[in-house]
Amino acid sequence: MKKVFPILAIALGLVLSLVLTLFAFGLDVPRSLGLIFDGALGNRFGLATALVRSTPLVLAGLGMVVAWRAGMFNIGGEGQYMMGALGGAWIAQILIPIAPAPVVNIAILLVGTVFGALFAAFAGWLQVSRGVQVVISTILLNFVAFEVVNWAIRGPLQEAKRQLPQTQSLPDAVMMMRFDPQTSLHSGVIFPLIAVGVVWVFLFVSKAGLKLRFVGDNQDAGKANQLPTGRIQISAMAWSGGLCGLAGTIDYVGLVGHLGSGHAQNWGFLAIPVALLGGLHPVGTLLSGLYFGVLFAGSENLARFTPIGTTIVYVIQAVAVLSFVAFPRLAGEWVKRTSAKKVALAGSPREGVE
Amino acid sequence: MVSPPDALVELDEVTKAYGKVLALEQVSARFFRGEIHCVLGENGAGKSTLMGILAGFVIPERGSFMIHGKPAPMGRPESMKQQGFAMVHQHFMLVPNFTVAENLCLTNHGGKGVVLNPKSQTLVAATLAKDLGWKLDLNLLVADLPVGAQQRVEILKALMSNPEILILDEPTAVLSGPEVEDLFDVLRTLKAQGKAIILIAHKLDEVMAIADRVTVLRKGKLVAGALLSETNRDQLAQWMVGEIPPVPELIANQAGEEILRLSGLDVRGDRGELSVKGISLAVKAGEVVGIGGVDGNGQIELAEAVVGIRPSQATLRELPSKIGFIPQDRQGQGLALNLSIRDNLLIGGLEDKSLGSGLFFASQRVKNWATQLIKEYEIKIGSPLDPVASLSGGNQQKIIVSRVLSQNPPLVVAVNPTRGLDIRAAEYVHRRLRMAARQGAGVLLISTDRDELTALSNRILVMHNGELEQIS
Repeated sequence: MKKVFPILAIALGLVLSLVLTLFAFGLDVPRSLGLIFDGALGNRFGLATALVRSTPLVLAGLGMVVAWRAGMFNIGGEGQYMMGALGGAWIAQILIPIAPAPVVNIAILLVGTVFGALFAAFAGWLQVSRGVQVVISTILLNFVAFEVVNWAIRGPLQEAKRQLPQTQSLPDAVMMMRFDPQTSLHSGVIFPLIAVGVVWVFLFVSKAGLKLRFVGDNQDAGKANQLPTGRIQISAMAWSGGLCGLAGTIDYVGLVGHLGSGHAQNWGFLAIPVALLGGLHPVGTLLSGLYFGVLFAGSENLARFTPIGTTIVYVIQAVAVLSFVAFPRLAGEWVKRTSAKKVALAGSPREGVE
Repeated sequence: MVSPPDALVELDEVTKAYGKVLALEQVSARFFRGEIHCVLGENGAGKSTLMGILAGFVIPERGSFMIHGKPAPMGRPESMKQQGFAMVHQHFMLVPNFTVAENLCLTNHGGKGVVLNPKSQTLVAATLAKDLGWKLDLNLLVADLPVGAQQRVEILKALMSNPEILILDEPTAVLSGPEVEDLFDVLRTLKAQGKAIILIAHKLDEVMAIADRVTVLRKGKLVAGALLSETNRDQLAQWMVGEIPPVPELIANQAGEEILRLSGLDVRGDRGELSVKGISLAVKAGEVVGIGGVDGNGQIELAEAVVGIRPSQATLRELPSKIGFIPQDRQGQGLALNLSIRDNLLIGGLEDKSLGSGLFFASQRVKNWATQLIKEYEIKIGSPLDPVASLSGGNQQKIIVSRVLSQNPPLVVAVNPTRGLDIRAAEYVHRRLRMAARQGAGVLLISTDRDELTALSNRILVMHNGELEQIS
């Protein structure tokens, strides 16, 4: 019960913030809610879209969970997502002429994950050995990733016709299996579910996960307990980047089939609020990722009938993060401070030294 | 004791309590112009509280505090400055990335209104520095200055307001020998200018060299106040420490082999200064070696070097592969406060194969193990899954002690393992450490608490200025 109540409260709050946002945009609230519901859950097309949208959100969100739990504030999900897709596109170009389709498919997923992992691990290494905070380096490395992709899709990885700045489309056989040819639902949507289990076991059952959480909560204590803090932080970044890279790769090999400069549609950034709203817990992240996937699918439908579309997703995310993550923390600090002041006033005033 | 009528500052029967602990109990002292007055005492004697009262940020519960025969404005440090007080803190209150001149402007910006006028300040500072015989480039960054020079800046900053009373809190703690001599020359110059100088100190040699008058505190009480000429070194030492209690007979442990051997160990502190200077040290199995001394003489650096979390150089280094570490700062270094009690225990059991041999923990065995530890070490908790932050200090310390000792490390390094604990919890930690030694562990106990050292140690060394001295 102790755990269920806050989850219910957050769920209710998310729905409420949706209603308020629609109202603030001056929309007809019941009608808009209907459109959103239809677009996401009303039929199999909507359901497929919702699942496909939540896939990168959950995967990259899990990446954030691992990094942030280790005290590494990875803001580079977007770049890692792009590097993952780039790795996939690169290995696809090499393997397609010489290997059978299932092998290529698996190779794409593996190489994409590794590319994302290495890219993020580099930022981790910069912090550990050079003192460059990942908060800064990952933001900047996003731009590096975008430009590397821009160069690749106009150079070595450009499509055979050399018309558009994008890679050659993957043959259908290489793409993830589609359950229903009419919808966009592909077999990649099971990866978030697997990843939730893997991350949960890693964080809460494995020895490496305990070390990671310990160092993330108190790096000095990690050091005093003779843990290799630097290695742990770099490996957390690798996990994080691997999951973001996998997200980018699955969108590439499951949904789009080619890589262009607009491949990452803020999924890597959106993953941060998804993870925060999920309480930096794998299961919470799955739920919040699904919710925002539904909201994306629904608001795409809303956009067909009103001038406002997916913008509301960003508004709701912002409202939700402020009200559930930032505000309670600030309020908590405020309560702590005022009560401390009261105690100080009641007791002996102005104690400066012992 | 005859006191001349012109006492500049008078404290009379001052009492200050923190909770139930009496930090100062009916302490009286008088401070005069043209005198260097040393306030002496061990850690926890009440020196810092006394200094806090003088500087205006601690308000005593009882007693009077007079300046020039008038009640002092207590609780307002900023008006103490107008009363002619200035203070040199032990930990420098300087901005490292500002120049010397900019730092000097922090207390007094020199210009009119909101305008900063570093030039006028620089001029004043340069004159002051010249008077004291210092060569100080005011345009250098404070961060680039050696520690001794940083302290000069701190002193200059204090002198900028032309104070009558200058308080220095353990100013020699960070200085080398020649720097101390230099500082003392300056203090004598200031004394000759008629200022009252109050020096918080714990090093007897320095007190003997510089003081005109001493006030000795022990455990919050005034032990003695006297002119230095009326007393001597042995008398001061006895006042400071009291009667030295007899060392209790320890059960003779099996004289084991040496499990720790270090020679010529050099360790650098956080500021790059040499904190441990070529010491040699050996600990045998089954033996508790106590290291005493006043805080900040290199003990922490020594402990961290032995445990291997601070880089160090040594000519000889023989250590066991597994060392149990009980750090001084349990919340800062011992625990991950937001993690559960179970997780905080488990971080000590990473290499315990019985808790899971591969990459994973066996959850049932972990549960039993944690329950067992909690029972065995009498840790009072709600659920093992509660955050460790919810526990009292004593129980938090027991978490650390239990996870370290349950792994039977051949060497245990404990730094002030009972600091801040009540008597029962402290007693318990002592019993466990003794038990560990009886079972064959070597224990290196670093403590500033003399009672703790004598109660536990087979032999005691004292660390002073980065070097070890044998006393028993």
